[in-house]
Amino acid sequence: MFMWIMAFLPIVVLLVLMMKFKWGATEAAPVGLMITIFTGMTLFKADVQLIASESAKGIWNAMIILLIVWTAILMYQVGDEAKAFQVIRNGMRKLLPNELLLVLAMGWVFESFLQGITGFGVPVAVGAPLLIGIGVKPIWAVIIPLFGQSWGNTFGTLGAAWDSLAMSANLVSGTEEYLTTAIWTAAFIWFWNAVSGFAVCWFYAKGKGLKKGFAAVMILSLIQGGGELVLSSINTTIACFVPSCISLVVILLLGKMKMYKEKWSIEESPIMERGFFEESHAQEPDDMTLLQAFVPYILLSLLTLVVLTVKPINEFLSRISFGFAFLETRTGLGHVNPASECFSPLTLFTHASMFLFVSAVIGLLYYKKHGWIKSGGAKRAFIKSVTMTMPSGIAVIGLVIMSKIMDGTGQTVVLANGIANVLGKFYVILAPFVGLLGTFMTGSNMSSNILFGGFQVTTAQLLDVNVSAVLGAQSAGGAIGSAVSPSKIILGTTTANILGSEGEVLRKIIAITAPVTIAIGAVLFVLVCI
Amino acid sequence: MKEKSFFKTKEGGLTIAFLAIVAAFAMIMTGLYFSNDILLAAAMLLVTAAMLYSPVKVYIFDRRRKNKE
Repeated sequence: MFMWIMAFLPIVVLLVLMMKFKWGATEAAPVGLMITIFTGMTLFKADVQLIASESAKGIWNAMIILLIVWTAILMYQVGDEAKAFQVIRNGMRKLLPNELLLVLAMGWVFESFLQGITGFGVPVAVGAPLLIGIGVKPIWAVIIPLFGQSWGNTFGTLGAAWDSLAMSANLVSGTEEYLTTAIWTAAFIWFWNAVSGFAVCWFYAKGKGLKKGFAAVMILSLIQGGGELVLSSINTTIACFVPSCISLVVILLLGKMKMYKEKWSIEESPIMERGFFEESHAQEPDDMTLLQAFVPYILLSLLTLVVLTVKPINEFLSRISFGFAFLETRTGLGHVNPASECFSPLTLFTHASMFLFVSAVIGLLYYKKHGWIKSGGAKRAFIKSVTMTMPSGIAVIGLVIMSKIMDGTGQTVVLANGIANVLGKFYVILAPFVGLLGTFMTGSNMSSNILFGGFQVTTAQLLDVNVSAVLGAQSAGGAIGSAVSPSKIILGTTTANILGSEGEVLRKIIAITAPVTIAIGAVLFVLVCI
Repeated sequence: MKEKSFFKTKEGGLTIAFLAIVAAFAMIMTGLYFSNDILLAAAMLLVTAAMLYSPVKVYIFDRRRKNKE
């Protein structure tokens, strides 16, 4: 019990500092990390070699994440220099005169599309400035994309997190167990997808927002969540991407429907910055069309789609990759970290950061050619992107090292085993919470599935409950966890320029994610245990 | 009013901390390659110092300065 408490301590401290004392992740993450190192060395008997080895793995992984942060910020700065966001805001307002539908399009549907193909926090980093561009308050411009992207975390990024679940749970593609697990997972995620859509409506205007957005959310959720459920039993790689693309088209069609085609907004909406719109209206470049303003984003979508889905191109570009070798390490308590010849290799030319970088640079040249970026603007965009990335860098590095050391010293396993041993069959209620915890710590649904996939299978077999259902809850919890993960939140607070507000963002999101995760667990308990 | 140089701002300090972590990464990889525990311990101290820069600055030094004022 003592070991379990000590393993849980870094997470508790992180949560308390961020939510109760409103510390930013840059300040809270190092404290959590120090506790992890201390407990790892004293109680879990890790030597300096193990701690250093796990730290190096953490720094390497964090650097890869930071490449995405930097390039996403660069893309934002390019658009900002060209004043493209003013054009996007005004153009989208004309296309979708219903403000709630506009927020849903820019904060939920567009993020789903980006998550379907890129992931790794890109939808949050890219989505936040876009929402600010249409007049959403910065704090909500971070919260809404976190909800919008989360449902796509398992089958998004062309099914990367799903594949890792299948790998860690030894699910063989095409078997009945594989298909059943995919269906359970997609069903739970559909529920969360609908909740996310309704949450955005609720944030916008409470009951009035829910009433106005009900039909749109039902239709979009049917396409996204329902589409994913159907496709998950056919092809898990495109199960999120295809419905996301369809929903992107459908929301524009919804804007032409009778109930959404008229201008509609709630003046006192708590998420909208009303002074903002009038203030920056005059700055819009006259000769830039909406399509031209979207050039870097269209390029990003096309580039990602072509490189990731056209196999010969993907195989050719995947040839260049590099990573570092690590030796086997072992704690005094016998927890082994196997050796790795090439740990977490970076395949630079198929990495999301490369798509963002190329799109940003081509966008910059395009805007410059049309005279929308003035002399010195390009240099300013690059400098601002670097200075904005640095502060979030420390938090991301701290959080990733913390998760690596927790995992490498065996603290993560102790944490999960403790929950299962104490609760017995009631553990099932907390199964999605374990998935959420994994993503909270690592910032990735994929890592959560790798960390806890095998553990969930063993626990479900020990408790004699439906393994597929428990695995479905694990990955759905992991997807929900991507909305509360500090390393994802910080991507949004960085590009929204409100670094240090991570605690406030977390507090607002957890009020919805925690009850939904428990509800999924409760439904699972009723279905498989009673 | 005279403008602060970049490295005297919080962003500048964090940039230095970031560079220190990159240097520590190189030290760790070298230390692991040569199985040199002293180099590994030094690298971990460097990581710790760099990580603690922000909380120490914000919640100790800046608060002290505010209290004095």
